[in-house]
Parts: sequence; C-alpha cells; structure tokens
Amino acid sequence: MKMKTIINLKNLTMLIFLIVLSVSGIRCTNEKSDQERARETTRESEREEVHAGDTVVMQDTVLLEFGITTQIAGAGILKTYVYLPGEVVIPPGNLAHVHPRFPGVVKAVMKQIGDMVKVGETLAVIESNQSLTDYTLQSQINGVITEMHLVKGEMVDDETHGFLIADLTKVWVYLKIYQKDLPYVRPGQEVYISAGTGFPEVRGRIDYISPLIDEGTRTGRARVVLDNKNYRWKPGLFVTGKVVTAKKRVNILVPKTAIEIMDDVPVIFVRKRDRYFPRPVALGMENDESYEVLRGLTAGERYVNKHAFVLKAELQKNEFGEGDEH
Amino acid sequence: MNKWIDFSLKNRLLMITLAVLLMAAGYFSYTKLPVDAFPDVSPSLVQVFTETEGLAPEEIEKYITFPVEAAMNGLPDVEKIRSVSNFGLSVVNIYFKDGTNIYFARQLVNERLQEAREQIPEGFGDSQMGPISTGMGLILFYYLDDTTGKYSLTELRTIQDWLIKYQLQTVPGVTEVLGIGGWEKQFQVVIRPDALLRYDITIDRIIEKIKANNLNVGAQFIEKNSEEYIVRSVGLVTEIPDIENIVIKEEGGTPVYLSQLADIRTGGAVRRGVQTMDGVKEIVSGMVVKLYGTNSSTVIGKVEAKMKEINKALPEGVRIVPYYQQKELVEAAVNTVLHALMQGIILVSIILILFMGSVMPSLVVAISIPFSILFAMIGMRFMGLSVNLMSFGGLAIAIGMMVDGTIVMVDNIDRMLREAPPDEPKIHVVARAGREVIRPILFAISIIIVVFLPLFTLQGVEGKTFRPLAYTVALAMLGSLLFAITIAPMLSYLLMRRPKRNNMKAANDTVVPKENRVVKILNRIFLPVIRYFVHHRVLAVILSIALLIAGAVVYPRLGSEFTPTLQEGTIILRLTMAPSVSLNESTRMTQIVEKRVLQVPDVTHVVTRIGRGEVGAHTDPINSAEMYILLKPRNQWKGVKTQAEMEEKIREVVGNVPGVLTNFTQPIQMTVDELLEGVRAELAIKLFGDDLDVLKEKADEIAAVIRGVRGAADVQADQISGTPQLLIKVDRQKIARYGINVEDVQQVIRAAVGGEKAGQLFEGIRRFDIMVRYREQDRADVNDIKQLLIETPDGARVPLVQLAEIREMVGPRQITRENSQRFITIQSNVVDRDIGSFVEEGRKAIESGVKLPPGYFVTWGGQFRLQQEANKRLGLVIPVTLLIIFLLLYSSFSSIKNTLLILLNIPLALVGGVIGLWISGQNLSVPASVGFIALFGIALENGMVLVTYLNQLVREGVPVDEASVKGASLRLRPVLMTAATTALGLIPLLIATGTGSEVQRPLATVVIGGLITSTLLTLLVIPAIYKWFSTRVNGK
Repeated sequence: MKMKTIINLKNLTMLIFLIVLSVSGIRCTNEKSDQERARETTRESEREEVHAGDTVVMQDTVLLEFGITTQIAGAGILKTYVYLPGEVVIPPGNLAHVHPRFPGVVKAVMKQIGDMVKVGETLAVIESNQSLTDYTLQSQINGVITEMHLVKGEMVDDETHGFLIADLTKVWVYLKIYQKDLPYVRPGQEVYISAGTGFPEVRGRIDYISPLIDEGTRTGRARVVLDNKNYRWKPGLFVTGKVVTAKKRVNILVPKTAIEIMDDVPVIFVRKRDRYFPRPVALGMENDESYEVLRGLTAGERYVNKHAFVLKAELQKNEFGEGDEH
Repeated sequence: MNKWIDFSLKNRLLMITLAVLLMAAGYFSYTKLPVDAFPDVSPSLVQVFTETEGLAPEEIEKYITFPVEAAMNGLPDVEKIRSVSNFGLSVVNIYFKDGTNIYFARQLVNERLQEAREQIPEGFGDSQMGPISTGMGLILFYYLDDTTGKYSLTELRTIQDWLIKYQLQTVPGVTEVLGIGGWEKQFQVVIRPDALLRYDITIDRIIEKIKANNLNVGAQFIEKNSEEYIVRSVGLVTEIPDIENIVIKEEGGTPVYLSQLADIRTGGAVRRGVQTMDGVKEIVSGMVVKLYGTNSSTVIGKVEAKMKEINKALPEGVRIVPYYQQKELVEAAVNTVLHALMQGIILVSIILILFMGSVMPSLVVAISIPFSILFAMIGMRFMGLSVNLMSFGGLAIAIGMMVDGTIVMVDNIDRMLREAPPDEPKIHVVARAGREVIRPILFAISIIIVVFLPLFTLQGVEGKTFRPLAYTVALAMLGSLLFAITIAPMLSYLLMRRPKRNNMKAANDTVVPKENRVVKILNRIFLPVIRYFVHHRVLAVILSIALLIAGAVVYPRLGSEFTPTLQEGTIILRLTMAPSVSLNESTRMTQIVEKRVLQVPDVTHVVTRIGRGEVGAHTDPINSAEMYILLKPRNQWKGVKTQAEMEEKIREVVGNVPGVLTNFTQPIQMTVDELLEGVRAELAIKLFGDDLDVLKEKADEIAAVIRGVRGAADVQADQISGTPQLLIKVDRQKIARYGINVEDVQQVIRAAVGGEKAGQLFEGIRRFDIMVRYREQDRADVNDIKQLLIETPDGARVPLVQLAEIREMVGPRQITRENSQRFITIQSNVVDRDIGSFVEEGRKAIESGVKLPPGYFVTWGGQFRLQQEANKRLGLVIPVTLLIIFLLLYSSFSSIKNTLLILLNIPLALVGGVIGLWISGQNLSVPASVGFIALFGIALENGMVLVTYLNQLVREGVPVDEASVKGASLRLRPVLMTAATTALGLIPLLIATGTGSEVQRPLATVVIGGLITSTLLTLLVIPAIYKWFSTRVNGK
C-alpha cells in the first residue's frame, strides 16, 4: 500500500513535470526569437563599430564603385550674382522727332520706315501754306526711321508728328531691382544680359542706379548700356541681367556637392589615407555652384567633392536601420 | 456500439457503396479545394490609400489621414486603426477581428469612406480601398522586355498601363494589376517664367485657359426630314499642336499662343518608384494581385494563358517576362507534402506486409489511408480550408496514425480467426473480434483527437498557421475511426481467410502464436528481455528515471526560435537607405548593389523595385528597395545546396554596402510582415502624444531610462525624423502690405514648383494628364524658388523671398498613429530575466525618471503581450486537455491505477522528443511544440492497447507476472506496428528538403524521438511495473 502511494506520488510529479515541460515548451518557443534577434543586432552593432568615432573606412575600389571623388582644398574666385528682370529701351538721347515747321502740303516723302538716315539727310519736302515755298524736313541724327506719319499730299500743320528717328547703335537695359537685392547692386558692377535661347549673353556694366523706387512696382532701377551695332537688342525685349554682386578671392572654395548636413551642421568629409571624417565647417559666401569655407577645412587637405552623401549615410546607418515600419 | 459492427457486417453491399460514395465525394472535394502555398496568416484588414502628390507628412496627416480615421472609428468589430502618413501618401489600416468577413468589412469601410471624402479638401486626393486581397495576393510579377531597344520607358509604361493592365484584369480571380517603373506619360506645359513677365500673364490664367479649351459637348439632337441628328461639338485637344495653339491672351488683335509662353512636350510624371534590372537599366514592370479567396494556382494558370495572348498583341520585340510567380512556390510546397504523403503510404504498406505476413490484412489496413484522407477532404471543403503546406502536412503526419485503429482491429480479427474453433461461423468470429477492440480503438482515437485541442486555441499567426494542421489531423483521425469500426471488420470478413487447422494447433502450444518470420525473430529477442524486466522491476524504474534525467539534462540545452522560417525559394535582398535620400541616388546605389549581386555565378538576373508604384500593394518610401534575385535552377548551384547557404554566399559577395542596410527576406514573408503589426521586438513601449518634437525628445529619454533597467537589450526609439524639408512660411505682415492673400502665394508655389494638373488629353480611350509647371531650371534649387514672382493686386511682381521665410529643416519622415493618436515606439528585448518583472521595473523607472507633459502617455505592448496571453491560454488548456484524457482513460479502464500507468507514457515520450531535437541540432519551436502535443496522443495509444490486454489476461486468471510477459509478447506485433507505421510515416518529412520541409521537420523529429522512447517504455516498463498498477493485484 505504502509502495503504491509512493508510486502514485511519483506519477503525480511526472504529471506536473509534463505540464511544466509542455507549457514551458510553448513559452520558450515564444521567447526564442529575441535571442535570435539579439544575435542579429550584435552582428549589426559589430559592423557599426568599425565606423565608430564618426569615421568611415573605405577602400579606393569602393570609392570608384560609388563614384565618390576627392580633391585638394584650395583657394578660388567666388562670384556671387543676383538675377534681375529688365527691358531693352531706346536711350532717350538717341531719339529724334521731326516736325513740320509750318502748315503745308507734303509734296514728296523720300524715306520709309526702317530706312537708315544720316544727319541732314532730307526726309520729306513740304510746301508751306504761308510762303508757298518748299521746305525740307531733315534728320538731326544718324539713325533709323521708326515712325512716319506723313504721306504725299497730306495737309500737315505744325502739330503734326513727322518722323521718329532712333539711333539704336546703343541701347539701354533697365533692370528692375527688387527690394531684397537693393543693398547688393551698385554702379560699376559687371552684368551679363541675356534674352533667352538664341540670344548671346553679353557683358555690360551697371552705369547708373535710379535714386528713386517705382511706386507701382516697388522696384528700383538700374541701367546698363549695350552696344547694338547689329540691332540685335530690340527695344521692348525682355531680358534677364545677371549682376555680379561680388567677386572675391577666397582661401577655400568648395563645390556645393561637397557639403552634407549632419545634425543641422554643414560638414565636409576629409580624407586621411582610407579614412573619412565628417568635419563641421563654417560657410561664408555662396553662389549657384560653390561655397566659401571660412573655418574647418585648410588648404592642402583632401576632401570628398562628390557623392559625399554615401559617406554620411554610412555613418547614419544604424539610425535608420531600426524603426522602419510601415 | 457493438451493433455498429453487426450492422456493417450484415449490410456489406450497402457499406461498400457508402464507402465508395464517400471516397468519391472526397475526391470531388479535393479537386474543388483552393491550393495555396501556406495558410494565409494575413490579418482581417482593410486598407485605405490616399495619394496626394506633393504633400508633406504633416499635411497628409491633417487633411487626409485624420478625417479617414475619424470616419472609421466606431465601426463594429474593428480592433485597431493604425495609420501612416508619408510624403504624398496616406495609408489607414483598419484591423478587424480575426474571421470577419472581408466583404462585410469592406462594405462598412466604404460607407464611412463617403463621409471621410467630404471632409478631405478638394484636390487633395481621392481615398480608395486597397485591393480585395491579402498578404499572399501578390501572385505574379513581370517586366516588359524590349529586345528592339527602341521603345522609351514612357512608351513601355503606356503599354503596361493601357494594354496589359486592362487585359490582365479581365482574368477571373485577378483583382488588380499594378504598374511600376518607367515613366507615366503626361503632357507637360513647361512654362518659361520670363515669358509670363513679358506678356503679363499669371500661371493661374494659363491653367484656366487650357481647361477652357479642351472639351466635347453634346447638345441633344435636331430633327431633319423625320430623322434625328445627334448634335455634338468636338473641342478636345488631341495632340501637342492643339495645346500649343491655345490662345492665352489677345492684345490688339494679336493672339498670344501658349507656345509663346511654354514648351509643350510629352514627359514622365513625378514618380515615387523605380524598377531596375541587372544594375544597368530601368525597366517597366507590373504585379498581379489575386482576388481574396481564389485559388492561386488556377489564377496563375489563367494569367499565364492570357499573357501568351497579350504577347501576340504587343508591338514586335516587346514581351512580358514573369520574374516571380507564386505558382512555383505553391507547387513546391504542395509537392513536398505530396511526396511525403506518397512515401509515407509506401513505407507504411511495407511495414504492414512485413508484420502482417500476408497481403489481405495489409490491404484492409492500407485502404484506411485513402479512406481517411478523402474523408478529411470533405471536411476541409466544408470548413473552407485550402490545400497547403500545413493542411497537407497534417495528413502526412497523421498517415501512420490513420492505420492504427484498423491495425488493432485487423490484428485482432486475424488472431481470432486463427484461434477460433473451426465450427464457429466466420462472421461470428469477426464480430466477436471487432467487439473486443472497438472500445479501446474508440478511446485511443478520441484521445488523439483530443490532444490536438490546444492547437485550436492558438491565436494570431501561429494559430492561422497551425490550426489547419490540427483540423486535418482531427478530420483524418475521425475518418480512420469510422473506417476501423465499420468498414474494416466488413472488409476483413470479405478478404481474410481462416488459416488451416494444423497450423492452429502449433500456435496454441506455445506462447508465441503463429506469426510471420519478422515477428518471430523480434519475439525471440524480446521474450528474454521482458522476462528479465518483469522479474527485476527496479530496473524498469531505474530505466525510466534515467530517461527522465536525460531529458531534464538535455532540455535546457535546446535553443529556441519562434517558427522556423518557411523557405519560399525566392530570395529578396532588401536595401534600406537614408530617409533623406533622393530617388535618383537610391536608384544609383541600388544599381551598384545589383552589380555586386550579379557577381555571384548562380545569379542570372536581379530585378529591383525601389519605392512604390501604383498604390495598392506597396507603400514603401523611396529609401527602400527590394531586390529579387533570380537564380539558376537549384541543381545547377555551385557549392551550396540550401536557400540559407545561398543567402550566405550572396551576403559574402555583397559585403558591406556603404550607406545601405541590407537584409534578406522573401516575398510573402515580407508582405505579411508589413500587414501585421510593425513591431517585432519582445517589448514595444508606445509613447502617445501630439507634438512630434516632444514625442521624439521624450522617446529618447525613455529609451535612456529603459537602457538602465537590468536585462534590457537592443533598446531603440523609432527614428521619426530625417526627411529634409524646404519650409516656406508666408509672412502675413509682408503680404498685407502688398494686399496679397496667402493662397495667392501658395498657388504659385504649388503650380510653379510642384506642377498643377490642367485637364487631360485623350488618345482614344487612353487619357493622359496635362501638367503645367515651371521649367526645371527655374525651380530646381532654393535660390530659384526664392525668385518666384508673386503678382500683387495692382500688378506689381514681388519675389517670393520678400514675402515669406524660406528655410531648410529636417522634418518627420512619416507620422504613425494608432487609434487616432500620434505615437512613437521604443523597442526593447529582454535578456536573462523574466519579462513581467522587467515591465514592472521599467514602468516605475519611467514614472520616476521621465516627466511626461499632460496628454502624453505610455502603453506597453509587443510580442510579450501575445506570449503572456498564449501562456495563459495554454496554461489552462493543457491541463484541461490532460483532464479530458484522464477522464477518457478512466471511463475506459474504470481504474485510476491503470489510467496513471498509461499516463506514465507521456513524460517518457516527451523525453524522446527532446533528445531527438537535441541530436538533430534543432530548436524548440512552435512546430516542435505541435509535435509534443501529437506525441501525447500517440504515446497513450500504445499504452492503452497493452494495458487493455494485460487486464484481459488477468481477468482470464493468468497470474500477473505471467500475464505481463505473455501480454507484452502477444501485443508486440500491434504495438510495434502502430509505432513503426507512425514513425515511418513521418520519415519522409524528416528527410525532405523541399520547400516547407523546415516547418515539418522539427515536428517529425519530436514525434519519432518520442515514439522510440515511449514504445520502449510500453514494451518494457509497463509490463514490468504493471503489477503495482494492476487492479486485481490484491485479489490474486
């Protein structure tokens, strides 16, 4: 009897063992995957450690594969620009109106719109009503006839507009200066004028800036005088002026593609043998292509000037690895 | 109960007819069953996508995500609403309770979606539900191969979107075809901003004018001589010159045409996804999404046939090339189990013939296999189960068990026929033999079915994975029970002959009855051993204890894993790049990686999807790329055999890719992971709150605090920021001075930089957007944007920078919300300690260490929650199951001692399973647990058969010791047979290497290992210690 109870007890223990075993079996199977994950992440973090201390190690072959290029830091000329819209106008001093002096009848018209005329050249002959004698209308300037309001036999009086002659060998470009650009635009600055495709870009200089602001558009006005021997610049044409607002030699000039932003700070990746360090830099002036580096990079250092993003991404890899859920 | 047997013996023709009918019905069901690779574990989920070109995550959340979420709140059976607001895309996931009818759920969502649409501002996109599909719905991916090289990516995409897509969508079972890659054609009106200045025209006016010059109208009809003429006016633009000649303005009789202000050309729409191939080119591709509930293999077959048709209609040199097909996977998975099934049947038959010694009894037993399987098919059809790795795996597992009941029945009939007096009618002998074993068979099989009960309570992914297995096992066992107690006796009567008399005599003389040679040999070895054990009972006890100790020693050494990953046969290398990356750069980096992968000689092609194409299937941002690695056929691989080894090989070749995180995944695994909850860590602390900056700051604090708690590992707060933004903040004081509205400024920004749609151009039924946008050089960088001119009411033009603050900043990459609140997740794993106490300590640490502003709160979730729930459930269900088994046994034996003796099998069987896992180097996992559960039933069965017989002998007056020896040796055949059939039936699963075998292997290992120890125990230990448990021991 006693023997039997012992056996029964043992049986009970086995039963309990069995329950524990099976329950914990299930439990462990659930717990499991963290170990695995832990293993994975350690593998990950080991790999990250290679880059610890904000350094990327990269072989030249990989550099080539990813199209990453480097260059030596050095000085350069930095030009900054502002772009201003403008319009070609006839310089007021190059215009001449020709009016009949006395009322009369037009007896002959010698010129047509578009004809080139010289100073003193006869444009038309008018018989005066008062003296019944002929007198001539003559051009006061060299230029091209742009307007003509006389035809043969027409009665004209001294109010009548006869001819408008314009000398277009020189034209002006009036550029509008927006408020934001006013502080930077000054007389004497270099300007590149262009009117879009088909027009060559020509160089000029700002020779005057209006002291007043247009009340309607709230823009200032700058003037550029352009040579127009071939009459390419037609008055009325819209143009864009690229004004060189500054042109200076800077100690370190880098292409914009070299700059990456890390933690809100601009950095440049500097190369030391096969190692690359992100170096925080202070930036100065800039234009479309380049930055001036004030601090952080010294002349003679080799830095990454293209696809530095790959290096930045490598450094930030552990940050964007996890938590990528969608 | 006994009438069963009599009835079937008497109505033989009826029974045969019924059996044949049943099997025919089974076969018919089988042909109608859907075929999948795996059980679909996708949640009951309805997704709402809203695509809005150009909006940042904050705006997407405010204008779109929130109204959609708000509308969905309060729907019945909704468990959870999660949303992700990305750049340009809002995704709201509405999770319904498991088992909710998907069409019902969609209908509910659709009704509410109407409300939501009203709340979303005009022009901010149209919310749509995702395809009627699941995570396993992406059945086929293809790309367009242009051998001529003369079609542009835009042309190819047009072919995809307008020819292939609509054709494929007509295939029954295809719910959607989604395109990606190349460029979606559009007509672009590329504005020259200086021309706007020149002609004094605003961009709004251009958009207005284009819209006003592009339409057809109908004007009813006129009647002419008793006939009706329909009046229609045609004014749609149909080609580029039509657009160019739209008059924008007229000045003194001189029209200003659009062509004077803009270049009009065809071009590609803004895209958020690219498809690349082999590191050298971009391609256009598409994916076929299967309708929910349809049969994958049938749909794929039809799609393939349709593709052949379409190929003929495609331009010369262009053809569709599938690069991923679920069909291969389905076939592979089904093949794996079918092979295992066939091999199992063959092995089992061999065992039968070996042990039974004659063909006829073996035949009766063998027929029980197809009968049970076909019976299960009928059940599967009724329960809506599909043929897949797990459901058929269940049949493969059960194959050895299906025959057990019939073996016991036939064995007994065989023995009785031999022993019965020659004058007793055969039909009586059979009925008597049947009656003798019908109860034990009924109980044994019931127990096997009952032990699978805990599996039915599994929830979530495991539940969906393993429940089909439990169902088919239970169904097949039910079928086998039916067969054993009705058909088997009848068939035995028809097919088995009585042995000749002279043999009978010899048999009666010795303890060993007339048996075939194999059993004789076994008995010759077994008899002395069992005699020794019966006389030295302590030895039996020592043996069991030794086994138990061995199990206890080995158990802690087992590794553990969740569920072994199903090998789908298709390898995806997933690339994750910096969240700030541009599409061009991610394409460039992807192609570099593609070239590296191609260096592996076994790789034939690499096709990569970067970002997302048409919405519906993927929502990935552009910093994520999925690389499908196409391999040579497996038998041509060099140096590697398995998928895991191949992955390792590729991993080595790819190495570390600067700036890119790489990890391997598989197509279905990936999609399903995406649909399930994002967090895969043990512990997910969710911090809810409103302000993204505060969330980030506090999440980092919490992460720091949690790192300090003992046991914390891999603590990580989500990186929610990382996308650079150019923020243009309109200065209200400044615009006030000019009399400009905020909207005036924003409209220019939107149209000039982002582009604005100005109607569509129809080419037949194909329609393409007309987009108005500044030319690239005038909007490409910050300085250009600063120069954008805004017109004031009095006609002056002011550069944008004078009206707004423009700055570069880092903004959120995406905003995630759950149940209408923003949250951020802090993940952690727990090492070397109990999670419960870790959570307690962590909770206190956060309370004391992190000061949360009002409105911010923390919840704890993650896998541990599910585990706790599962443990709680199993902690209840397993004891209940054991209790049911106990009661079943007790009602069968009416003896607690007998019952305990039989239950003794369980721990010893478990030990065998544990040792089996250890020897084969496998881990404890869910399938292994399923194996343990199956073991419960199988181990008990043997014990029951033996103890029943021992009791019978004792009742007949045989002394206990002698009964023990005689019983064990007489029952050697059925016990060994049932054990051997079960074990051998599983051997194919053990040695299979095909797709899906990795899930079945641990299960088979456990059962086989356990069978070995439990059979040993049944045959040696139970007879030995039977005396202590015998009901009549005192009486004798």
